[in-house]
Amino acid sequence: MTKRIALLLAALVLIGSVALAAPAQELVFALQNEPDGFDPSVTNNSFASPFLTNVFEGLVTYDTTDGSMIPGNAESWTVSDDGLTYTFTLREGLKWSDGSPLTAKDYLYTFKRILTPETAAQYLNLVTDYIEGAQEYYDGAGSDEALGVKAPDDRTLVLTLKTPAPYYLSILTMWTFSPVQQATVEANGDQWTNKPDTYIVNGPFKVEAFNMGESVVLVKNPEYYDADKVKLERITFRYITDSATALMAYEAGEIDGSRGFPPNDYARLRASDAGVVMEAAYATTYYDINNAKAPYDNPLVRKALNLAVDRVSLIDNVIQTPALPAFSLIGPGYVVDGVDFVEGRSNFGLSETADVEGARAALAEAGYPNGEGFPTLQLSYYTNDTIKKVVEALAAMFTENLNIKVEISNEDWAVYYDNIQAGNYEVAAMGWGADYLHPMTFLPLLKTGDANNLVGYSNPEYDALVEQAQSETDPVAAMEIMRKAESLSAEEYPLLNLYYRANTMLLRAKVQGFYFDYSGSIFLKTAFIAE
Amino acid sequence: MRRYLTKRLGMMLVTLLLITLLTFILMHVVPGGPFTNDKQIPESVLSALRKKYKLDEPLAVQYLRYLGGLARFDFGPSLKYTGKSVNDFIQSGFPFSARLGALTLVFVLLASIPMGVVSALRSGRWQDALLMGAATLGVTIPSFVIATGLLYIFAFRLGWLPTFGVAKWQGYVLPVAALGGYSISFLARLTRSSLLEVMGQDYIRTARAKGLRETRVIIRHALPNALIPVVTVLGPTVANLLTGSFVIEKIFAIPGMGAHFVNSITQRDYTTIMGTTVFYATFLISMVFIVDLFYCLLDPRIRLE
Repeated sequence: MTKRIALLLAALVLIGSVALAAPAQELVFALQNEPDGFDPSVTNNSFASPFLTNVFEGLVTYDTTDGSMIPGNAESWTVSDDGLTYTFTLREGLKWSDGSPLTAKDYLYTFKRILTPETAAQYLNLVTDYIEGAQEYYDGAGSDEALGVKAPDDRTLVLTLKTPAPYYLSILTMWTFSPVQQATVEANGDQWTNKPDTYIVNGPFKVEAFNMGESVVLVKNPEYYDADKVKLERITFRYITDSATALMAYEAGEIDGSRGFPPNDYARLRASDAGVVMEAAYATTYYDINNAKAPYDNPLVRKALNLAVDRVSLIDNVIQTPALPAFSLIGPGYVVDGVDFVEGRSNFGLSETADVEGARAALAEAGYPNGEGFPTLQLSYYTNDTIKKVVEALAAMFTENLNIKVEISNEDWAVYYDNIQAGNYEVAAMGWGADYLHPMTFLPLLKTGDANNLVGYSNPEYDALVEQAQSETDPVAAMEIMRKAESLSAEEYPLLNLYYRANTMLLRAKVQGFYFDYSGSIFLKTAFIAE
Repeated sequence: MRRYLTKRLGMMLVTLLLITLLTFILMHVVPGGPFTNDKQIPESVLSALRKKYKLDEPLAVQYLRYLGGLARFDFGPSLKYTGKSVNDFIQSGFPFSARLGALTLVFVLLASIPMGVVSALRSGRWQDALLMGAATLGVTIPSFVIATGLLYIFAFRLGWLPTFGVAKWQGYVLPVAALGGYSISFLARLTRSSLLEVMGQDYIRTARAKGLRETRVIIRHALPNALIPVVTVLGPTVANLLTGSFVIEKIFAIPGMGAHFVNSITQRDYTTIMGTTVFYATFLISMVFIVDLFYCLLDPRIRLE
């Protein structure tokens, strides 16, 4: 009898302990790509975002509940009346992951490091285009005094801009502006990002292990100022480059989430409530039309191409992932005073499905009635399975709706991009993902002479409006100017806009408190595993 | 013997030198460069990168510097992964690839030779048809199809084995089976046809006429000769298996070297292209050399000069 009671008690204790045990605050998440580096000053590679977003923090960051901009390392800041000088006050007692103090001097060092040619900072332009004296400093003609970055004391950082760019704060959320520690960078050169003990960080997590090609393990950083709010103890980012394998591992319960999964499985996973997380991306898929080459220098021809495309069919039948039809470059997401940039915007004469009659009429007006006399359209793309399907669908739409001949060609990205930059194309696959949440991340793509204007579109009126918007300090007024600039260009159809993308990932419902932003970054600072 | 060895070694070095030269020329002929990212990099940063990696120097100088590094077993820094060297890739990836490859090799040898022998001895009967039917499937079905099929059945549906990685020993089962599929089938067919040919030779008849038991005839007289073609293809097979498979490592998420062979080319990561090529070439040439030495053991008619 006593034996039985003992057994019963043991069983109860066992059940009790299982029921009471809090879930382990650990997360295993699959990534399909390895980044080209882990140095926040150097890389612009989006594959680095899962790491850099969670192990570093800049002056400003995002609120993980609603995505609004909030103080990060800076506890507060003031902007001068002319909109040119930003004075940040850093939090008290900030520390690096090795326990040493983090001061405004570290920020100053980081800016100067970015402005050193040997660093080869890929986002260099975000400093040189905006900060006073930065370009000169980079070119070797400037000086410490003339550079618009100053650290008068340990907790004050002053940035001086060339023009009042009211959106510079959103640029400052990017990882490029996370501080790096001078001591470790100088002691280890560009290998400081290779080992956990030399990879000194300042964010909610730090790296416990770098297993090249296999995984990166993050653990909670006890030195982080807001460490009390960080709940996850360990995050294992496992590289599973094959998204089909990642999906199997997810469905077999071996991992908690995956950044990617095969697009063909989207509908099934969504229907079975398997944990598809979806967020509208601030990114647009479009095709470059060579505005400098006949017959594509004729806006009517470009309009005809735009009208001939059935965007809904492309989204539903070809890419099979959530996206919104796009009639212009800038997608929804940027909000001022509760009004989205795209609210009440015109369709610029385009429709979600193909407008065959309109397309043919535009082509006839351009001098090619029923497609007669129109040269064979060269449609090019970079080697990629999904894009191949889109290109084939586009070619069929052009052939059928415009009665023109289409020739498809593809190349590796490295060769392809060189050709696009050199203007050796007619219609070519392209796209743009926002660097920061502001229309200004898109507008320069059509500005005369901008390095990223690959279509050769040039409209002085547009250029003037963009410049005007860049120095307008009132956000509402700036929005109006940007809208004007956008419709001015959209009515000339410089691009073949197809759709605004959405970011998707797989994550189990038990993982909560994370923030998945417009660029596909996953903020895990406040994430936790629910019971 | 010593003269032969020095001569072979000298030839190997010349071959290797030619391979590096050819690879160097070919990769620079291909358009595109290592710094084409998905986002535009400012021209000033590009020139800083070219300077950092000494790509602004004449090609001949770059090549000679590369050879200089090679002499010190320094494959140089990766152009694509900041702070990483090609040696890092090899040091971290090769153990995974080699372990998987070695296990696969053992599996291949244990499976293919008995398969070939049985089919040859039962030539024309159902055992032969069954084994050779399986071998034909193994040669014709691509490894990624086998891999995905195995993964789906044994890892996903039945849940007996992990879906990815080799952290546990069970993780090796499916990759070994998928990676070995082709080699097993190929070697089994080769063993069979070679053994059939040898069994028709005069000396086999002589051995039988002496009254030797059939097992002894096969093991002692037929098999060593029948295995010569098998040993010949074994050299490249070993080199292929041990240096990693792009497809299998990708599907099973094994952090081996396979990915670097393919990705370095699409990314135009020049130093990694050179490094992986030289590494593989050295491996292959050494294996071929070892195979040549093996011939003497198997066939007394073959003598080293």
